[in-house]
Amino acid sequence: MNAITEHESAMQAALAPQGDGEVLLSIRHLNKSFGGLKVTNDVSLDLRAGIVTTLVGPNGAGKTTLFNQITGHLVPDDGEILWRGQSLIGRRHFQIARMGIARTFQDLRLFNQMSVEENVLTVMEPVSWIWQPGGRAARQQRLERVHDILARTGLETKARTRAIDLSYAERKFLSMARIMAADARIWLLDEPASGLDRSSYERFLGLLRSEVAKGVTVCIIEHNLDIVVGISDRIAFLDQGKLLADGLPDEVLKNPHLAAIYFGDQTS
Amino acid sequence: MLLLQLLINGVQVGALYALIAVGFSLIFGSTRIFHFAHGSTFTIAAYVFYDLLSIAQWHWSLAVLASAAAAVLFGLALNRFVYVPIQKHEGSFFTVFVASFGVGIVVQNLCGMLFGRSFVAVSTPLSRSVEWLPGLYVSPLAGIAIVIALLFFFALQLFLMRTHTGMAMRALSENPELVRAYGLSPRRLSMMVFALGSLLVVPAALLSAAGSGLNPAIGHHVMLISLAATIVGGVGSLRGAACAGLLLGLAENLALAWFEPQWSEAITFIVLFLFILFRPSGFFGRVATS
Amino acid sequence: MLAYLLNLATLMCINAVLAITLNFIMGYAGIFSIAHAIFFGVGAYSAAWLALHASANIFLVIPLAMLVAGALSLVLALPALRVRGEYFVAASLGLQVLGVTVFSEWKSVTGGLGGMIGIPPAELFGHAVADPVQFLLLALCCLIPVLLLTSVLLRSSFGRNLKAIRDSESAAHACGKNVAVIKTLSVVISAMLAAVAGALYAFYMGFINVESFMLDTSVLLMAMVIIGGTGTLLGPLVGTVLLMLLPGVFSYMSFLPQTEIGSIQQIAYGLAMVLLMIYRPGGIVGSSSARPAKEKAA
Repeated sequence: MNAITEHESAMQAALAPQGDGEVLLSIRHLNKSFGGLKVTNDVSLDLRAGIVTTLVGPNGAGKTTLFNQITGHLVPDDGEILWRGQSLIGRRHFQIARMGIARTFQDLRLFNQMSVEENVLTVMEPVSWIWQPGGRAARQQRLERVHDILARTGLETKARTRAIDLSYAERKFLSMARIMAADARIWLLDEPASGLDRSSYERFLGLLRSEVAKGVTVCIIEHNLDIVVGISDRIAFLDQGKLLADGLPDEVLKNPHLAAIYFGDQTS
Repeated sequence: MLLLQLLINGVQVGALYALIAVGFSLIFGSTRIFHFAHGSTFTIAAYVFYDLLSIAQWHWSLAVLASAAAAVLFGLALNRFVYVPIQKHEGSFFTVFVASFGVGIVVQNLCGMLFGRSFVAVSTPLSRSVEWLPGLYVSPLAGIAIVIALLFFFALQLFLMRTHTGMAMRALSENPELVRAYGLSPRRLSMMVFALGSLLVVPAALLSAAGSGLNPAIGHHVMLISLAATIVGGVGSLRGAACAGLLLGLAENLALAWFEPQWSEAITFIVLFLFILFRPSGFFGRVATS
Repeated sequence: MLAYLLNLATLMCINAVLAITLNFIMGYAGIFSIAHAIFFGVGAYSAAWLALHASANIFLVIPLAMLVAGALSLVLALPALRVRGEYFVAASLGLQVLGVTVFSEWKSVTGGLGGMIGIPPAELFGHAVADPVQFLLLALCCLIPVLLLTSVLLRSSFGRNLKAIRDSESAAHACGKNVAVIKTLSVVISAMLAAVAGALYAFYMGFINVESFMLDTSVLLMAMVIIGGTGTLLGPLVGTVLLMLLPGVFSYMSFLPQTEIGSIQQIAYGLAMVLLMIYRPGGIVGSSSARPAKEKAA
């Protein structure tokens, strides 16, 4: 972990955008149980525009479950999830996706039998009926955008390769490429960098930074401290379904109690 | 009185359906394998019993044992030689299902070639109906069916709730890691699940061979019941599958009061369809999210 | 000999249409239906009824048969597609069973177990297509547009949507795809085109009964698609040709008991299905799928 001096942390606190942005996603008193197990326990969290929030916590803390409730894959038992003021609860997953909330999956869930190009193109084509509006011109534009995204994620040479034939790192980048094609206001990334080798990881960090600089709001589930410290504006600490802390990276990570839970999990 | 008769028939049939359904639900719920060949396990057990008892003239207890062994061996062999290799390299729902389906076709036709396509049955005095009450005919087979079903359920309940292995089986589908904590490997546990699930069809197979008779296509009907009961009862719930099996048996028979016999299979489908429409998670199932 | 070949070719065209349409939903959308024979039957019975009671004009009969099958599939698909694919198999098995019962019992419309006989030959621009060669041409004229239409659809965004759903339904949802609508559309298209085959069959045979639309037929169609190779354009064609040549091949092998040819055939493709799934799930035409890259331990 980088040694952060008092001065540097004060600077960070001053510069980090956190209080003023519009609240895009608001989670209020969310609860969810599976059988007897409470996986989400009275969680309240705000995601503001332009900010990178990282969800940390030991395995099984309920981070992915939280994502699943936001995106409509799971229905919470009670509580509220507001997207720019509108309730998301009860809406179908694809409706929520169309409202501007995009996500990746921990197990990637790429369209394995389709090529890299097709994976990205599919996300860019919104309409579910038989034809896409806009005709030739729109189609050309989409293809250009696809290739632009592939260039940025380093996948142009693999455009025609099937997703299932890619290397591990390439698959991770394809998952990112898909979300970049989604034109969404907020990205929910589930362990996007896990298992990447050093150089791929650096490349990933660079990609994420440039996307964030463009104004995308991001919420990441991550274990990797470099991301947690290096790119987060806020950290939310989850354990056993409960939100234990939510604040600046400094505050959260310097808390010895949380560090014990967090590092305790890392060594086990 | 007709209604009461149909009710009794329904309970008898329903008890056996419940066993079959629980066998399938156990396998599907634990291993997530769409074991379409479950109907074939039934067919094999039934025909082995028929062959050994009626043709080879073995003693019935030996025939029962051989039949049970055949069913269990079939389930295990299928798991070991078909499902496991498929899951090793790709294991999508589609491939497993198709392979299972292929096995079903092979078994059905082999039985057809060996035993003919018409109905055969084991003749035994137990299947002869006795007039229990005026107008009410019950065969000892019915009583046996219900008793055996209850015994099996009781034993299964004990096994799943009280033994380590049993509890691990229940945990298998939700949390394979937990299974390792019990000191068992998920692979060996899957083997046991297949053995147990296959064993559960044996009573129904034997009683069908003695009662209503067999033909090679009976596997389809068994499969339809297993699937319908598993869905209606709720995937992941053995109790649900059992209740649903009973319900389907009752519905099939009670429907005879109003409809022709050839519609009885259709009744099963209608019940299934209604559930898919209005309550896809079944009676007791977990919510079927993707 | 010529008559035999013409017959084989015509039946191959009809079955090819069925295989292509089944592949459309099974190989591309990942919807497993064991009830395809029912839509085949609905098309056949509709066509037969129209030809016997109204007109045998092809341009009337085929579109109407398509409409009937399409409407029926819509009614069935809407609820059934709300659940996971695994449950849809169960529903389709039930539909197959129910369909056969309806075909056998609804005497006033389907002629019951006896079926419908005396179907007049198809009428094309006032000319009755009774000659086998002419009918083969007609069958080809139906097969080719079906092939073209499905291939255009599959290369389009709709095709991509189908493949996305097949590969990962949850990811497709997360991309904003209305999966239920897409699946329903694909089932309706598939059923409508299967009805074309049904109409052709009714005109060709001159009589139809429930025997042609039972579970065995659905199974054979599934085998054609799987063995040929799902998710490919050529696969269903290869599968159709192969499986339709099989009875002929088997009857040449005189050491096989001739009465059991039907069973032996079925055993052959049952075994083929099992072996293919273990060693080459892509079928004959499909590529053998590579293993996904090993995930590094996090």
